[in-house]
Amino acid sequence: MRRILIASLILIASAIICLCLLTPAISAAAEREVRIADKAGDWGNPSPYLAYSRGPGYVRMHFIFDTLVWKNETTGPIPLLAEDWEYSPEEDVYVFNLAENAKWHDGEPVTADDVAFTIAYMKEHPYGWTVLDSVDRAEVIGPHTVKIYMSGPYAPFMEDIGGTMPILPEHIWKDVANPMDFVEAGAFIGCGPFKYADFSKEHGTYRYEAFDEYYLGRPIIDRLIYVKAGDPQMALQHGEVDFADVKPDMADTIGGLGFVVIEGPHYWNKNLMINHNREPLDNIVFRQALCYAINQSEFVDKSLRGHGKPASYGLISSESVWASPNVPDYPYNPDKAKEMISTLGYVWEDGVFTKDGKPLQLQVLVSMIGVGGQPTPDRDGEILKNQLEKVGIRIDLTSLDTKVVDTKVINWDFDLAISGHGGIGGDPKILYEKVVQVPGAKTSPNTARYNKSEELNELLDDLMHEMDPEKRLAAVHESQNVYARELPAISLYYPTWYYAYSPDAGVEWFYTTGGIAKGIPIPQNKIALIGDGAMSGEIAEATETTATETGTAAEATPIAPGLAVIAILTAFAIVQMKRSNRKP
Amino acid sequence: MRNRTMKMVVAYLLTIFILLFLNFLLPRLLPGDAILAMYSGHETLMTEEMYAELVRMHGLDLPLHEQFFIYLTELAHGDLGYSYICHASTADLIMGALPWTLLLVGTSFILSAVAGIVLGVESSWRRGGRFDKTLLTFMLLLDGIPSLAIGITSLTVFCLYFGWFPSTGAMTPYSGAEGIEYIKDVLWHLVLPLATLTLSMIPGDYLLIRNSMLLTIREPYVLTARAKGIKNRRIKYLHAARNAILPFATRIGIRIAYLITGALFIETIFAYPGLGLLTYHAISNRDLPLMQGILTVSVILVLLINIVVDLMYKKIDPRVGYAY
Repeated sequence: MRRILIASLILIASAIICLCLLTPAISAAAEREVRIADKAGDWGNPSPYLAYSRGPGYVRMHFIFDTLVWKNETTGPIPLLAEDWEYSPEEDVYVFNLAENAKWHDGEPVTADDVAFTIAYMKEHPYGWTVLDSVDRAEVIGPHTVKIYMSGPYAPFMEDIGGTMPILPEHIWKDVANPMDFVEAGAFIGCGPFKYADFSKEHGTYRYEAFDEYYLGRPIIDRLIYVKAGDPQMALQHGEVDFADVKPDMADTIGGLGFVVIEGPHYWNKNLMINHNREPLDNIVFRQALCYAINQSEFVDKSLRGHGKPASYGLISSESVWASPNVPDYPYNPDKAKEMISTLGYVWEDGVFTKDGKPLQLQVLVSMIGVGGQPTPDRDGEILKNQLEKVGIRIDLTSLDTKVVDTKVINWDFDLAISGHGGIGGDPKILYEKVVQVPGAKTSPNTARYNKSEELNELLDDLMHEMDPEKRLAAVHESQNVYARELPAISLYYPTWYYAYSPDAGVEWFYTTGGIAKGIPIPQNKIALIGDGAMSGEIAEATETTATETGTAAEATPIAPGLAVIAILTAFAIVQMKRSNRKP
Repeated sequence: MRNRTMKMVVAYLLTIFILLFLNFLLPRLLPGDAILAMYSGHETLMTEEMYAELVRMHGLDLPLHEQFFIYLTELAHGDLGYSYICHASTADLIMGALPWTLLLVGTSFILSAVAGIVLGVESSWRRGGRFDKTLLTFMLLLDGIPSLAIGITSLTVFCLYFGWFPSTGAMTPYSGAEGIEYIKDVLWHLVLPLATLTLSMIPGDYLLIRNSMLLTIREPYVLTARAKGIKNRRIKYLHAARNAILPFATRIGIRIAYLITGALFIETIFAYPGLGLLTYHAISNRDLPLMQGILTVSVILVLLINIVVDLMYKKIDPRVGYAY
């Protein structure tokens, strides 16, 4: 009985193992296919209204839907659906000439009517990524020419609307009353380089197929797949995917293994929110003293282990094309900070500043901060506490849930709070959004709501409405300088993000200048997948070799471990059988 | 008898009600504005209108007791709510994840139970011997290692270093495999998470059975059985283990909650699309309806299994029936 039991157990175990042995490790198909790993997986259905309104959600959608203009690794805007365009300041209108050979994935031609329809539709059903208050209406003046009337000068138009608003097919969407409920096949018909093939919410996977009739030429790969991975970097190393984000500390190792590592531009800002309604933080001199007391490099060295860069005090990323060349700087100087604080009536007593017998004490709120959709624990609170205590400010460091910190900041119930946000590489409109409370919008915990400087307000107004590029650039530069002087919030540092891809897959990924669309800092621009004919020939060869290599590597999979496990099991069973007759 | 059944039914109903109430209340007690919390990570601008619309969609504008009433009514209709973050019905999301969890956790339940019982019985039978001592030390050691560590180590060794098994997911996405190939692919992906989960569960089962067996093998009836010359194997498994298994049944009842929580870490490491991962995402996104749905399903599941275990007790050990 016992032997039968053990024998059957071994049989079952061996059967399972044999099954595994035979698993031919389904290899990548011979077609040109690119697989991208992502930790979260599910970013919503890849349709404009259904994709989650976060960067990766937009990226999943942008392969299927094209906008009027686009950006690449140089400077934008570059033509996409619109071959050329013109702005007329007298009338305050934009005229776009569309590509005549553009087609929807269902074969219908793309016309000016679709663009006009999209604007009307999105005005009626607000689309999170583009606020169309600045657009009055669109008029069709030819089968492929559309005229967009503005309701007032709006300088960020090209990036904010032209380069972000996905064009919808009128023949499908005209009957859709509630876009949030529209999940039928039509919701995935766009005119972009890739056709929607599949999305699995539960597995967090996406599949796109190349669109043969794409107006800029067929994409250089046949299939694009997004895969959810517990550890994207491991999936890349293991050959399961061709593209993944990598941990900063591992970037060199990964580069040494033959992968191409892309080092991100610095478009994300860790900053210190300041309650400028409270004493002494309402004083500009005190805020400037804080800057002198803060050693940005120490944050980069300790918190990011060197994988980052000290931030510009003018909010806009120092790597942005909009960065001002002469933003006021506050080099680390604790003595100067102390000197400035003492001018405010504070007295130095036993290492702490006091006023009227009360010590100078501030509370700093810290929490897990979502960086690129991933919650990241705070490492900066302690560093900040040390730095500020050196200049005689007593710090009460309080760690709370992110949402609680957000609520406290929104309700002005804080002194200082460590926070962070992206978008500092795209259109300088971010300056306006992060300083002033945008009318009609819900208060964001990252907005300083600073209204004390007339000069800054005027400059921000110019920044939003000045249509002359040179004058606008001047306003953008000057507003950064004033921002760095007034300090509605203090920028601390920019973390460096790393992505890596396998060069064998034949796609050269790159970071988009200013970020994809409104400033998404993910190096997955569809332009990388659209190449000219000559280029795709080379790639075809390169990829075929990879596919074969993957195949052979995969076939040799789990034979060795399987045999080992069988051997161990058998040995164990034999020992057991011999022992089974012994008395306890 | 009827009285007793009535009492049991009332007790279970009351438990369900209290749990559902907590289930409803707890997510709402989370600090911060629920809507802002849910959408704070979004990069788009939220207008006052959108905010008001979201509050209305989630029914958060109603007084608490009305919200609870609506929740109960919807639940009675089998409606677990709608996740606005995922744009999908909560029931669909849970049903999508449940089969994978059942495959992973269910299989490892069975494997670890069989291994735990066999090893525990054999070990206690040879108590004090070399086999027992080695196994006990090994099991205590294994018990001390968190499943997280086992998972990461096995990933590093078997996936990254040797490259034998895939690192992620429950199958190769879009491989085009069908039939037997598909099953093989799924099993191949199952190996590492299953081994990790099973390894982390065996020590508990083993220790429980071993200790429980140590008590039963001292019973006079075991001595009698041996005196009668019954084969050891029969005494071990039919006389002693049969009586030692009762605490194990209790453990199964308790551990059913593991279906959801226990595999959370392992599902996250291996990106296995089960309920654990779904729960993790629901919590990190503050997806109120989804969180509530998963909790409701798990509450009902745990209670159902407990009823089954309650009934099973009487089958496993008739003495329980006399206790009333």
